[in-house]
Amino acid sequence: MLTGNGTFLASPDVARQERRYSRAEVALAVALLLPNLVLLGIFTYRPLLDNIRLSFFSWNISSPQATFVGLQNYVEWVQRDDTVQILMNTAVFMGVAVFGSMALGLGLALLLDQKLFGRGVVRSLVFAPYVISGAAIGIAFQFVFDPTFGVVQDLLARVGVAAPNFYKHSGWAMFMITATYVWKNVGYVFVIYLAALQARRVDLDEAAEIDGTGQLRKFWRVTLPQLRPTTFFLSVTVMLNSLQVFDIINVMTRGGPYGTGTTTMVFQVYQETFVNQRAGYGATVATIMFLILLVITMVQVALQERGRRA
Amino acid sequence: MNNDAGTHRHGGDRRRLRGAIAYLAMLVVVATVVIPLYFVLITSLKPRPDIYTQPVMWFPDEIIPDSYTTVFTAVPFWEYLRNSVFITAVLTVVQVVLGVLSAYALVFLRFPGRHAAFLFILASLMVPKEITVISNFALVAQLGWTNSFAGIIVPLAGVAFGAYLLRNHFMSLPGEVIEAARMDGTPPMKMLWRVVLPMSWPTVAAFTIITIVTEWNQYLWPFLIASNEKVAPLPVGLTLLQQAEGLTNWGPVMAGTVVTMLPILVAFLLLQKQMIKGLTAGAVKG
Amino acid sequence: MHITRRALLTTVGGIAAAATLTSCAGTGGSSAGGGDPKNIRFMSNHPGKSQDLEQKIIDAFVAENPEYSVELIDGGSDYEELAQKFNAQLAGGDVPDIVVASDVTWFPLALNEAITPMDELWSSGKVDSDDYVDTLREDYVFEGKHYGLPYSRSTPLFYFNSELWEKAGLDGAPTTWDEFDEMAAKLLKDNPDVAPLVVPDGSNYLDWYFQGMIWTFGGSYSKEWDMAFTDDKSLEAGRFLAEQVNKGHIKITADPTNEFGTGLAGALLESTGSLGGLKEQAAIEFDTAYLPGPKPGCPTGGAGLAITNKIDDERKASAMKFVEFATNQDNTVTFSQATGYMPVRKSALEHPDEQAYLKDEPRAQTAIDQLAENTQSQDYARCFLPGGGDRIGEGLDRITTGGEDVEKIFEELQKQSQEVYERDIEPKL
Repeated sequence: MLTGNGTFLASPDVARQERRYSRAEVALAVALLLPNLVLLGIFTYRPLLDNIRLSFFSWNISSPQATFVGLQNYVEWVQRDDTVQILMNTAVFMGVAVFGSMALGLGLALLLDQKLFGRGVVRSLVFAPYVISGAAIGIAFQFVFDPTFGVVQDLLARVGVAAPNFYKHSGWAMFMITATYVWKNVGYVFVIYLAALQARRVDLDEAAEIDGTGQLRKFWRVTLPQLRPTTFFLSVTVMLNSLQVFDIINVMTRGGPYGTGTTTMVFQVYQETFVNQRAGYGATVATIMFLILLVITMVQVALQERGRRA
Repeated sequence: MNNDAGTHRHGGDRRRLRGAIAYLAMLVVVATVVIPLYFVLITSLKPRPDIYTQPVMWFPDEIIPDSYTTVFTAVPFWEYLRNSVFITAVLTVVQVVLGVLSAYALVFLRFPGRHAAFLFILASLMVPKEITVISNFALVAQLGWTNSFAGIIVPLAGVAFGAYLLRNHFMSLPGEVIEAARMDGTPPMKMLWRVVLPMSWPTVAAFTIITIVTEWNQYLWPFLIASNEKVAPLPVGLTLLQQAEGLTNWGPVMAGTVVTMLPILVAFLLLQKQMIKGLTAGAVKG
Repeated sequence: MHITRRALLTTVGGIAAAATLTSCAGTGGSSAGGGDPKNIRFMSNHPGKSQDLEQKIIDAFVAENPEYSVELIDGGSDYEELAQKFNAQLAGGDVPDIVVASDVTWFPLALNEAITPMDELWSSGKVDSDDYVDTLREDYVFEGKHYGLPYSRSTPLFYFNSELWEKAGLDGAPTTWDEFDEMAAKLLKDNPDVAPLVVPDGSNYLDWYFQGMIWTFGGSYSKEWDMAFTDDKSLEAGRFLAEQVNKGHIKITADPTNEFGTGLAGALLESTGSLGGLKEQAAIEFDTAYLPGPKPGCPTGGAGLAITNKIDDERKASAMKFVEFATNQDNTVTFSQATGYMPVRKSALEHPDEQAYLKDEPRAQTAIDQLAENTQSQDYARCFLPGGGDRIGEGLDRITTGGEDVEKIFEELQKQSQEVYERDIEPKL
């Protein structure tokens, strides 16, 4: 297994300097990676390419025939009235989901990393919402936000405030689904941060403690920098996950009120493909969404790699 | 959160105050998280007319197990549970193994196209599931895999999330330890098992629990592939409780939700301990 | 990793080439011929929680025809999910023989030749098509051919709180929407906190319920393929709806059934399918009536059974045999009583079990009478245009809860519907 110069492992920096690869090492890498790459290739990229091809067609999903229409679907996307609103919805949802669940998740992880009585149970409770399927959560939150039977309405009424109708006002509906999503997703962020906190260098914390560094300073100077890779990782995955949210929207608002009040791009893809039966246009939206995500993620990753080198 | 003060002293008062704030924060968290969960639970135990009332009925006069009886008798619950356990177990094992191996290769092995391979894995996270189903359904149908476990499992087996998570973690491992082992001439697979993984259990445990949750809750794909209780998992099977035009009886639906989440919460409690154990193991090594 | 990247490039090239060469969409494409013609595959969303019942019907069929076997395929929790699964199956080339098709899903399937016309199968299979309730059977006609047989069929009903009605001194349900206006004013005066009538919102088929109202004003969403949103009578109906909402006579909400059931509403527009659930759950005494007229003021709805087109003739004949069996006199009686859907066969109404049942439950009789007297088939703009229901529902939400201008919204609906028709339907007719 050893290479000519006696090493087989490389830290990322070393790898760039080395010109020659060890055959054994390349073979091992292929063996380790190939099964996964093949699975992703067949079941994710092949459909993606299929989808890109479809975006140049007009295809009623029930029909055996599709017509090649060139860029017409893309032109339609640029010209359509609802495009801007759906993009905005998507961006708002994503922004709130990323910042909201990351801030809360980190806070909870720091809190429950401490030696507190009953933290094991509370950890499970924080994680519990993440376990429930999106569809069930959508139903459960009817009991929270329903303007007549909901808990929010009930609690507000006790202090003499009239609750807004969350289902009827686009802004409130958006608030409702993002709050629900953050509630569900905080458990995910929490677990990843908690794992990272467990694996961090306790010695550094202790050193800071001995130095008498204040808590807030310790957090900014010692803890947060150690968590930076995790934070990057979470910002990427939470963003990508939040953009794939379908169940919660479908159960709670079906993309409404007023048609597109809470429609995000993924919901639009579904709506166009299966309800309006315009699979070609649906594929176009999906392709555009993929491209946008690709650009954002690549920028994030590039920033992360640069940060790592610095 | 320890952001109450930037002081340089550790007065006993401050410490006690911090403790109080921490417990208070914990209480708020518990309340926010628990109220919706409580309504899921209590709805599953209410008699039907008590589910929708005004004002909201926080504490029902009567608690009945009927909704649970419905879940266990009106649909083939145990078959769905068996399928769920099988599908989730296989997918979790496969994904964790593939994830660890992929991440290990991406971080510690030198080979041409390493960065491209990473981007290939990462970018697959950006493909919405909704657009893959039609194409994959066609392929699975051609293979004759509809209504089979293979048809459900194989297309879901590729792992991008975990490979990314572990790659990220592996790259943050202390260079000294890796370097030392490398100097000793440890062979790569042994290195993975003896050096890298022992420092990574909390992350592997987190990856495992998230994989379990994800696969346990898979809906769209198993729904398209499964015809009946032969292979359908719980989330697909339990929609049978919901098929009514106009009025759904939420009691059994909520009972179904409760029994679906319980096994995963147990798994989390177990893995959570693993995450803490990982801390001590890692600390010793480090 | 050269391999993967090269493989990727090759795939891209291959797919691009395929895209230019062929216009065949979907990825399966091949016909699902062959297979055992005696094995019938029936995909259903088990409307009205009828899974056990459907299995019983299947068992009875197999007992009577031992040479057949029938496989019941779960199709999700509602008609939308069922259609999604069926579309994936169509694209994937692996279709069941029989599929449940709803009022809004059957037509696109027929238009795209995914389901088969049944008329010839009726004559060769000796199906007594005249015994099916005429309005329900004729709902599935396209270009003179029938593409389905009624199965789980429903209509809206006017449910009202009898106690509130009595207290307000009202005698029975309103027979016209003008009369409703007066009654609602009385109800509201006595009980300012109770909405006189609750109706589901645009995400929950308001477009279906309002269809009856628009007809009573002499308007419609469309007359065949001519859009009619901007006709004076249609606009008048739209203004009436908006005005009733403003006056507080009608409340539009996502989940009206529970408000009605808990006594927070005087009346409710809901599907006949809700009758069973309300009987079990409602904390109030209630009665049912026709939707206000003048007649016809009520659309039909629900789902039928369709046979797929990709299968060979022998399979189609087998499928027809099962469809007929599932909707024969006995099974219609059992199915409609257990689920609350309408009996779809005329002979079922003469069945002694059915007569005894209706005597006990006059509220179910209301639905049957209304079907004969007060209904007509739906407008094309709602159920034949892709996304029609959603589009109209959205518009109605805008004029009711959104308080937007009726003329403006209906003009938009007119324009959008016309566009969809010209783009998605007209070229295929």
